[in-house]
Amino acid sequence: MIELLPIGAIFWAAFPFFVGFSIYLLPQLSRALTLVVTFSSLIFAGLIFWLDSPQTFQLLDSFGVTLTVDTLGGFFILTNALVTLAVLLYCWRSDKVSFFYTQLILLHGSVNAAFLCADFISLYVALEVLSIASFLLVTYSRSPRSIWVGLRYLFISNTAMLFYLVGTALVFKATHSFQFQGLIESPPEATALIFLGLLAKGGIFVSGLWLPQTHSQAESPVSAMLSGVVVKTAVLAMVRCALLAPALDPVLRLAGVATALLGVAAGMVERDTKRMLALSTVSQLGFVLAVPATAGAYALTHGLAKGALFLVAGALPSRDFKVLQEKPIALSLWAFGTIAALSVSGMPLIGGFVTKALVSKSLPLWQGVALNVAAVGTAALCAKLIFLPHSAAVTAPGKVKNLLPSMVVLLGGLMVANGVNPSAYSSLDTLVKAVGIVGGGWLLYWIIIRRVTLKLPWGVERLEHLTGTMSLSAIAIFLLVLYLMPLGGVTP
Amino acid sequence: MIMPVLEALVFATVICGFFGLIIKKSLVMKIIAMDVMSTGVIAYYVLVAGRIGLFAPIADSPDAILENGSYADPVPQAVILTAIVIGFSLQALMLVGVMKLARDNPTLETDAIERSYRP
Repeated sequence: MIELLPIGAIFWAAFPFFVGFSIYLLPQLSRALTLVVTFSSLIFAGLIFWLDSPQTFQLLDSFGVTLTVDTLGGFFILTNALVTLAVLLYCWRSDKVSFFYTQLILLHGSVNAAFLCADFISLYVALEVLSIASFLLVTYSRSPRSIWVGLRYLFISNTAMLFYLVGTALVFKATHSFQFQGLIESPPEATALIFLGLLAKGGIFVSGLWLPQTHSQAESPVSAMLSGVVVKTAVLAMVRCALLAPALDPVLRLAGVATALLGVAAGMVERDTKRMLALSTVSQLGFVLAVPATAGAYALTHGLAKGALFLVAGALPSRDFKVLQEKPIALSLWAFGTIAALSVSGMPLIGGFVTKALVSKSLPLWQGVALNVAAVGTAALCAKLIFLPHSAAVTAPGKVKNLLPSMVVLLGGLMVANGVNPSAYSSLDTLVKAVGIVGGGWLLYWIIIRRVTLKLPWGVERLEHLTGTMSLSAIAIFLLVLYLMPLGGVTP
Repeated sequence: MIMPVLEALVFATVICGFFGLIIKKSLVMKIIAMDVMSTGVIAYYVLVAGRIGLFAPIADSPDAILENGSYADPVPQAVILTAIVIGFSLQALMLVGVMKLARDNPTLETDAIERSYRP
């Protein structure tokens, strides 16, 4: 079985692209084919967990493509499969044309490829294909506003990837290979440039300020894909690098804490539901980065919950919290949103709790304190959705019928995710702490946040400023890496 | 001696492109600046390939022995070919987007576009 894994992995990685382009020939089968692709990913992820033997294989010689199949990536692949499945079920009855499903499959495939590869060039190709597919999905409505948001995304991601390519060339110059391991022996500027690209692509800290507008402007199923899985491609690559080169671990931890606090602080005062969710993504990615070893499990629960939240937000009657607070929403919508929001806050009984416990188990003090502050903020931010007025008398909008199957997938997945770390329930400390964090967050919500909405300056989100920020973060990361790896890249 | 100079010029190209991306107001100019930047990156790969030698790494007869140190490294060139194609297609995509935007915003000034589509 294990001997067949390399061939299986290659076939599985190429499969979505074959299917995606054959939709052009068979447009009437678009939805069924998308379903087949998502199931193939589900099966592959299941296979990874069942075999449970981390494998890295090289195709062709030492210059060939390197692929890694392990449970860390398995979690991400599972997230991708489930979120895509939920998005597909949500769109099943909509009037989306086959073009949409083609792009969805290509996005799904390139995300899978990015989760699989372990060398910088394959990752580059996967990330670029992914940006093209995301652009086409974001601009699906063809409105001028969506085209602008898509263009802005391409500008940022393409510039980031150009820096990344320079970093990759430096790695090749130093080690004669493109593998992730090469980072250990490369000069600090290579690491700085590669991380600059990945941080921008992954939406981390100030390099990720492009994310709120992009994710909130897209249609909700697309936002669910973007926030649920797409940004995690770059995050997984960084996590893999940090696991191979432990000297880089502090960079990730620092970036993780910074983005966790920034995202949550900006999200708390946000008035727009989808922007708030996008900012919460910026913050939650910090938890994924915080402990490389547990990144997979956290990414799974976050992806499922955030996918569900975006789909629910798309069905709400308004995007403005002020309007939503005045008129009750349908009970079913509220219930779906609340379960997902409780998971993000880390409430016991739902998947988010066990993975949060997993992350906070092995943190140094400074990181633990900062992440707990961010967790309280997250609970406060989610409280904005949980405490929306609701009533059983309100008839749910027609979209809720489409919502049901995808909610079964996402929220059911969250419940099953409890099995990732069942030991969390046996420790009273963890339970009390989780409830305390959620309670603290709700208190914060009722005392302050409910009354405050700030209009944050939008200047930082302008294209020129986003590009300029990139040069600043390049310098910051370079100095940090120089400090961490003082001996010209040789790990102490 | 020539190598460090070339390297400096290549990086200057990258930086020029990056500055153009920030300074230029028009969207089309920004795309051109991005192209300048990617030209710099491509040139850098070619430079890395030419570090150990400059001949094309093609053996003209089956038993020709490629002398170590005189032939260019084929790997970075092969790799950058992919990046060129991707960069080209991204640029085409962006230009199509800009054409669509130009209908409502004929000047294509980033400031004006951003102000009219602000959240």
